[in-house]
Order: sequence, then C-alpha cells, then structure tokens
Amino acid sequence: MQSPELNQNYFELFGLNPVFDIDCVALHAQQQRLQAVYHPDRHVDADDQKRRLSVQMASWVNQAYETLRDPVKRSRYLLEINGVSLPDDSATTSDAAFLMEQIDLREAVDACRHGDNGLERSQDIEARLEQRADQLAQDFVEHFSAQRHEAAIDSCRKMQFVQRIQQQLAELQFELEET
Amino acid sequence: MALLQISEPGESNAPHQHRLAVGIDLGTTNSLVATLRSGEAVCLPDEQGCSLLPSVVHFDGRQALVGYEAQVLLSSDPLNTIASVKRLMGRGRDDVKRLGEVMPHEFVSAEDSAALRIRTAGGDYSAVEISSEILKELARRAEQSLGSDLAGVVITVPAYFDDAQRQATRDAARLAGVNLFRLLNEPTAAAVAYGLDRDADGLIAVYDFGGGTFDISILRLNKGVFEVLATGGDSSLGGDDMDHALGEWIIEQAGFTDIDALLARRILSAARSAKEQLSSAGSTTIRIEAPQPWQTEIKREQFEALIEPLVKKTLSACRRAVRDAGVAKQEVAEVVMVGGSTRVPLVQTMVGDYFGREPMNKLDPDQVVALGAAIQADILAGNKPDNEMLLLDVLPLSLGIETMGGLSEKIIDRNSAIPVAKAQEFTTFKDGQSAMSIHVVQGERELVSDCRSLARFELRGFPPMVAGAARIRVTYQVDADGLLSVSAQETTSGVTADIVVKPSYGLTDTEIESMLRASMEHAREDIELRMLKEQQVEARRVIEAIDAALAQDGSVLLDENELSQIQLKRDELQAAVGSGSTEELKNLIKAVEDVSETYVARRMNASVQQALTGKQIDEVDV
Repeated sequence: MQSPELNQNYFELFGLNPVFDIDCVALHAQQQRLQAVYHPDRHVDADDQKRRLSVQMASWVNQAYETLRDPVKRSRYLLEINGVSLPDDSATTSDAAFLMEQIDLREAVDACRHGDNGLERSQDIEARLEQRADQLAQDFVEHFSAQRHEAAIDSCRKMQFVQRIQQQLAELQFELEET
Repeated sequence: MALLQISEPGESNAPHQHRLAVGIDLGTTNSLVATLRSGEAVCLPDEQGCSLLPSVVHFDGRQALVGYEAQVLLSSDPLNTIASVKRLMGRGRDDVKRLGEVMPHEFVSAEDSAALRIRTAGGDYSAVEISSEILKELARRAEQSLGSDLAGVVITVPAYFDDAQRQATRDAARLAGVNLFRLLNEPTAAAVAYGLDRDADGLIAVYDFGGGTFDISILRLNKGVFEVLATGGDSSLGGDDMDHALGEWIIEQAGFTDIDALLARRILSAARSAKEQLSSAGSTTIRIEAPQPWQTEIKREQFEALIEPLVKKTLSACRRAVRDAGVAKQEVAEVVMVGGSTRVPLVQTMVGDYFGREPMNKLDPDQVVALGAAIQADILAGNKPDNEMLLLDVLPLSLGIETMGGLSEKIIDRNSAIPVAKAQEFTTFKDGQSAMSIHVVQGERELVSDCRSLARFELRGFPPMVAGAARIRVTYQVDADGLLSVSAQETTSGVTADIVVKPSYGLTDTEIESMLRASMEHAREDIELRMLKEQQVEARRVIEAIDAALAQDGSVLLDENELSQIQLKRDELQAAVGSGSTEELKNLIKAVEDVSETYVARRMNASVQQALTGKQIDEVDV
C-alpha cells in the first residue's frame, strides 16, 4: 500500500523532491494542509489514544517544517538522509581564510555599536553576509550533487557560521533602532 | 464519536445535535463567559444584566461567594476575600513574596503539598481552587441562561503564561468539573472575535494593553488557518502604571509629603477616574477630598506627556515581535485592540502611527477575548463542521534543561510552532555514575537561577559506566495547549523515566483527585452509578465509531485476519454493554482500542494521503 508511514523522510512527508532548492511557498501551504488533518484541535472528541497519536503526528509535521524551512538545518538533513552524518556540532571548518573572514565580520559587527552611522554600516555588512550565504548555499548544492560529501559538510558548517553572525547582526540592528 | 473518527477539513461529521459550548475569559480583575447565539458571539449577563463578573471570591465556611457579592466585602473582610487570584496561578512562595505588599493574606503551605494556600475563615484555599470557584460560577450562569449542560469550554490565558500557569488553569477547569476543550491565547481569541478568519489572508497584530500586563502578538492568516508567528510583551506594564504616573504628578503638584495608605488609595483612585474622563474629554478636574483637600485642572495633553514613555515601551515590544516574526511592519494588514487601556486616545494614535493604519476597536475591548473564545469553543464542539478555522500556536517561552555550571540549555526555542517534540542527548560526567538528575526550566535567560523552575526528576538505575559513555536522551513534548511532558532514557541500557511536568508549585494529581471526590460527595451523586453510565455511553460510542469506520474502509485497510480480530473484540464489547460492570466495560473498551491501534494509524495516514493528493482512499493502490 502506498500510504505514508512514520519512516517517511521530511521531504516525502511534504511531497517535495529531496533537494536543497525547495519552493518555500509550497512548503508552507503543505504544512497547513497537514496540520488541518493532524492538529489536536481536529480531534477534540477522540479518545486518549487517538489524541496522543494526533499530538505526535502534529509535532512531527512541525519538526519537519522547521527543519526544511531553515537552509542550514535543511542542508544538514539532506546529508543525513543520504547517510552522511555530521560528526559533531562543535566541529569547525579547517578553512583558515574563511575563519579569518568570519573574525573580521564579527569585529565589524561589534564596531557598529560605536561611532556614527552604526545602522548604515550594519546594513552594508548585512548585504555582504547575504551574498556570502547565497554563495555558500550554491557551493553546497554543487558539492552535494557531485557527492563530494566532505566538501558539502564543510559548506554546511560555513553556512551555520554565517547564519550565527546574521542573527547577531539582527539583534544589534534592533538595539540600534531602539536608541 | 470517538474512536477512529477522521474528520476531514470541510467535510461534515456524522450529523449530531447542536452542543452547548462557551468561551471563558478568566481575567485578573474581571471574568466573562460568552457563547454563540444565532451565529453571533455574545457575552452572557447575570440576572442584573451585567456581563462582567469581578474575579473576587469570599470564603467564610459557608458556600463561597463569587463576584459582586464578594467584591463588596473586599474592604470590610479583606483576609477572607481574594481578588486578582490570577496573579497567583502556578506561583510559589518566592513569587508571592514579591507580591506580598499588595496581598493582605496569610499564606500557608501544607506539608504534603507544594501548593500555596490562602488561609481564610472557611479553610485554606489554593489559587487553583479559588479560580475554580470563578469558573463554576460562570459555568452555572451559562447553564442557567442556555438551559442545558455544557459540552465543553475554551478558557483563555495570556500568551505570556508559562507552563506552570497554564497547568494551573487546566487544573482549575478540572476541579470546576467543566470539560476543557482547549486553552486559547488571549490575542488569538481577539483576532477570532473580529471575524478576521473570514477576511482576506494577511498579517494581523493584536495589541493587548490591560490593567497590569501588555501583550503583543503577530498572527498570520492563510485560508482560515491562524498561525501565531511571534508573541512578546511585558508582564508588568499596564493601565495601573498610567494611574501611578498620574498619581506621582498629583503628589508633586499638591506637594503632599506625608502619604499614608489611605491618602495613597485616594490619589490612585482620583488618578484612575481622571484617566477615564480624559478618554472622552479634553480636560477634567482632579479632586482629593480628605485627609488633605486639594483640586486641580488637568488637560489631556498634560496627561499624555506623562504616559507617553509607557506607550513607547509597548511600541518597543511591538518592534521586537514584528522582528521575531520575520516580517516588516508595513505588511501588517490589521491591528486589533484589546484591553481597557486601549481606550486611551494616545494609545490609539501612537499604535495607529506605528503600524501606519487605523486600529480595529469596534468591539468592547473588555469583551473581545471572551467573544473570540466562544467562537472557537463552538467550532471545537463540532457545531460548524464546514468551518476550516484552525489555530496554530507557538511556544511563548523557551524550554530548557539545567546543565553543568547552572546554565540553561534550550531544548525548544520560544516561538516554535506547537505541538512540538524535541530530543537532546546528554552524558554523565563522573565515572560509575548510575543516576542523573534532570531539572526542567522555562525562560530566555542563560542562568538557571534567572529562569523559572518547572520540575525536577531523576533517571536512576542505569549501569555504571565511565564518564561520558552513557547516552541519556531527554525528550520534551509540548501539546497544543502549550503544556509540557518530559521523558528521559539511557539509550545503551534502555532505562527510562518520565513525568508530565507538574510545576513545582502545582497540585499533585492525587490532590486534585481527592478534591474532585470531595466535591462529588457534596453533590450527593451516586458516583458508582454515574461512572457506570459514563462507561456505557463510552462503549456505545466506541462501537458506533468502529462500525462506521469499518463500513467506510475496513476492507481496504485491513486484511482478513486483522478485520476478524477487531470484529471479535467489538462483539465482546457489544455483548457486555447492558450487563457488564464499570471495570469490565473499561477493559473491553481498552481491548477494542488496543486491537485497532494499527488501523487507527493507517486511517490517519490514508486521510493525509488523501489530503495531499485529493485521491479517494479506494483509489489508492493496495
């Protein structure tokens, strides 16, 4: 029987091809269609067993959605379902030039706190980071499709670095806008 | 119908009669109950025609007094009269110490219970019990005015409520003997009240400025699905702060120096009434009669200058919520105003200016939450099978676990869509360690001491190993009401432990059971008979559901052997319905459920398949 089972992967659950470039609008629409079936509010009168099942299913859909929505999590997950495990969260890239660049960027972010035009300077950095993230995503797609797994893992980690700085920058921009 | 009922969105359930359901806004100052009448949500008034029920309860050993009757006793009998009990929900001794100045009560905690109780002439009462009195009163009002039993209720809670506060609210419902369909976040209820689910898709901001709290939520509406994208706010910012700001101005203007409790109360009440006047008038007179007679004129502009910093604070929280939601404020299509403080014109203008659009304020800001809860209750009761409205909520505060050094490691981030389950692995740090203590906390701060402690439990009895060899998998599961259960497993040995998180200050299940039993005895009900009747109803429901399901797709989803096993258990249950004892029926129902577990899962999957592809089940290849 062709019915979906719990051992489906997230892409299968959402009826998407297992690739990095996904249609985020379709992803969101599918999440809501799945929740319309699974969400506990649709099973208010059911017995305990059925309600438990519904909570589990709805949680599973939410977790799948959050994983696929985020580019870093999505790339890790793609590697994972292709049997490539990322050894450790804390492991870092060995690309020295990349690391130097990250340190520079971090310092540049911090520097926006002081002096004039902090917000404008932060917007320049934002554009740079966005460009960097796009490029790393492209690298990932190339390495992944060519099955260069080590290189794909490295791109994935770098994407995570960039994402963290983006989060820091967003936090800083919020503070700057407040003052 | 219970077992195996799969309701497709938009597809009607088996026909059934209209079931009574109400929405309850269990507020700090006032509570309300609302229901749907001829398709329109209305608040149910008491015999005097008043919708608001003051959230005040008085105990003197006889029957508890609730509402206005209790409110008049607040000044003459303060020790036995409890107001603002919502502030105590899910709270412990330390939290109460902070509130100690404003609450005149004597707090006691029994030895066998973590829950704090207030000592009154009528006995000691916990916040859950006091709230349940308010709920009972509202349920009684609803049943009297609607003339029938309630099928269920939706109770609203602030978006900011943590797990302990939600759990306490759920316990109060249980104790009041009402069937709780769902806890609903207040801002979501407000958006529903404005019927925004029927409007065009888009982003909605709900700005809820009450007496003591401020909440902002950003919601996305998409084809009848409300999705809370982010919530934020300030749990200690409200209209009371406006009164204080104006009060301080009065003290300064009048040159009062020796301010005792009585004068302070008079100043605050003069400030409050001036604030209310200035919502419609351009200026008003502030009068303090005694002990030091004084009066002055105040213009609306002067008042606005005093409160502007407070309104700015709320806008700062709005900016954060908009950012957390990952949207731009220009995208917000509607701004819904909730709470009495939104009557202040400056609030209306500043919020309107910030979002660049006129806020929605047609409904009474005090009633709007209860009205929305009523609409949701009606849908959950199954009265509107065609309604596709679905509310997808997020977790208001991150859930974490204490790690070495008193730090909180987040397991589920705030603003994650719920329900949600997440697992994380931990390990031992000492050689030979065979137990691990798990401390569950909630909050955004790094240090455990700055977060709220929800529960502690231990995983014991796994084999001693060298440090770092054990693999302890801790799983957090949050349900649709935002309530947490935690389980832990040492995966190399399979040793497990789990708990439903009973907040450190909550009531234990046993306590609730015994309270329930006591209240049932008081009602002089024949408990045994009632339970048997309930089981008989349940048995018939199960049989009806399984028959309907089998007729629909039993032959498609089950092989012959599976089908005959389910049939067998179903027939055994059928035979026992008229003659079996409560216990026998319970076991037979369980047997039917157990044998059909796989079937339930397959039906759910099949229905999802159908939702995804639009195919009918009988078209799917078998």
